[in-house]
Amino acid sequence: MACPYCDLLLKKVGLERGQKAVCPRCGHLLYASKKNSVDKTLALSFSGLVFYLPANFMPLMTLDTLGIEKSASIYDGAVALYQHHYFFVAGMVVVTSLVFPLIKISILFLVSLALKLRFYPPGLPLLMRWYRHLDEWGMLEVYMVGILVTIVKMYHTAHIRYDAGFFCFIALLLVALGSSVTMDKHLFWRLIEKKGQ
Amino acid sequence: MNPIRYTENSQGMTGKGGFLTARAAGLVLCDDCHKLMPCQNQAGQRVSFCPRCGASVHMRKPQSLSRTWALVITAVILSLPANMLPIMQVDRLGASDYSTIMDGIIYFFEEGSYGIGIIILTASVLVPCFKIFGIMLILLSIHYKWKSWLRHKTLLFRIIEFVGRWSMLDIFVIALLQVLVSFGYLSSVASGPAATYFAGVVLSTMLAAVTFDPRLLWDA
Repeated sequence: MACPYCDLLLKKVGLERGQKAVCPRCGHLLYASKKNSVDKTLALSFSGLVFYLPANFMPLMTLDTLGIEKSASIYDGAVALYQHHYFFVAGMVVVTSLVFPLIKISILFLVSLALKLRFYPPGLPLLMRWYRHLDEWGMLEVYMVGILVTIVKMYHTAHIRYDAGFFCFIALLLVALGSSVTMDKHLFWRLIEKKGQ
Repeated sequence: MNPIRYTENSQGMTGKGGFLTARAAGLVLCDDCHKLMPCQNQAGQRVSFCPRCGASVHMRKPQSLSRTWALVITAVILSLPANMLPIMQVDRLGASDYSTIMDGIIYFFEEGSYGIGIIILTASVLVPCFKIFGIMLILLSIHYKWKSWLRHKTLLFRIIEFVGRWSMLDIFVIALLQVLVSFGYLSSVASGPAATYFAGVVLSTMLAAVTFDPRLLWDA
C-alpha cells in the first residue's frame, strides 16, 4: 500500500484490537482496526434512516415570546432562505444539511446490506466512490453546533421548548457519526473486489 | 492507552531521501478507493482507470496547483464583501439594524457570552483566515521548493481539510433564527447580502482543499 498523503510505499501490517497504523514519514493515520464493521455499519445506518425524516422535518424547538409561538425545523430554515431570495445560500444549506446526509446514510445502508447478504451488484463501486466524495459535504455536526448557538442566542429573550425534532436530530447525528466511524473502507473495498471469496 | 504501530517501509527498499515512493516504484494509487497498482499494464500502456472502482487514475491530481490557486484567490476576493457587508438584518419595532459578522461577535463579547463569542469568532473569522493563509503557505512552499517542516505542513493541510466545513455554522444559525424570530412588526431577523458571499468563501476554500494534492509537498 502507499500513503495517500505523501506517496510513501509501505508494507501492510496486521493490527490487533485498538491499534492504528500511522505513516512513518508524514504522520497520516492510514487505517485502524475495526471489528464487525459490516454489521455495525448496517445497524447504525438503518437507525439513521429511521431518524432522518423526523429529525429534519419535525420542529426542533418552539420559541415563545409574549405569548406568540414560533417553531422551526431544519427544513423550514432552508425554505426561509429561499423565500428571502438567497437561492445560493439556501441551496448550500439544503445540500449540506438535508440531501448529502441522506445520500451518505443511504449509501452506507445499501452497501453494508449488500455485503451482509453477499450480494454484489455492479453499482457497488460507484456508490462507494460517491460516498468518498460526499463525505465532507454532509454537515450534520456543524448544524448541531448551529442549533446550540441559536439556543444560547435566544435563551435570554424568549422561552424555548424543545420538540421531538430536536431529540431525533441528536439521535440522527449520533448514529450518522457512528456509522461513518465503524465503516472500514479498506475492508469494504476488499470485500467488493473479491466478491466475498 | 492504545499503542500505535508504525508500518514498516517495504523491505528496506530506498529511493529519494532513503524513502521509496509509489511513484518511484512505478506504482500509482487510486484516489477513490486507495488501490495500489502498476502505472503501466503489460502492454506498456498507461493505466487510466482503476480496475477495482472504475475511477480515472492519476499519478497526482490533475492541474492541482493552478486549480487550488484559482480557488484560494476566489476565496480571498469573496471574503471582502463577506466581512464588510451586513450578514444579518434585525428589525425591532420598525427600526432596522444591520450587523456584519464582526458586529455579531462583538455583541456576544459585550453581553458577556464569551464561550459562544469564541465559537463564532473561530468558525466565521479564524477558520476562513486560517484556511486561506494555510493553503497559500503550502502552495508557496511547493512553488519555491521549501523542503523544511514537511511533516508539519502535511499536518496543517489535514487540519485545513478537517475544519473547512465548520465555517457553515453562521449560515445555519441565521437560517434557524430567520424562522424562529419572525414576529412581524415586533421583531424579525433576515439574512443580509454577505450571506451569499460567505457561503461562497466556504465553498471555494473547501473545493481548494479537494483539488490540492498533499503529495506534491513531498515531491518537491
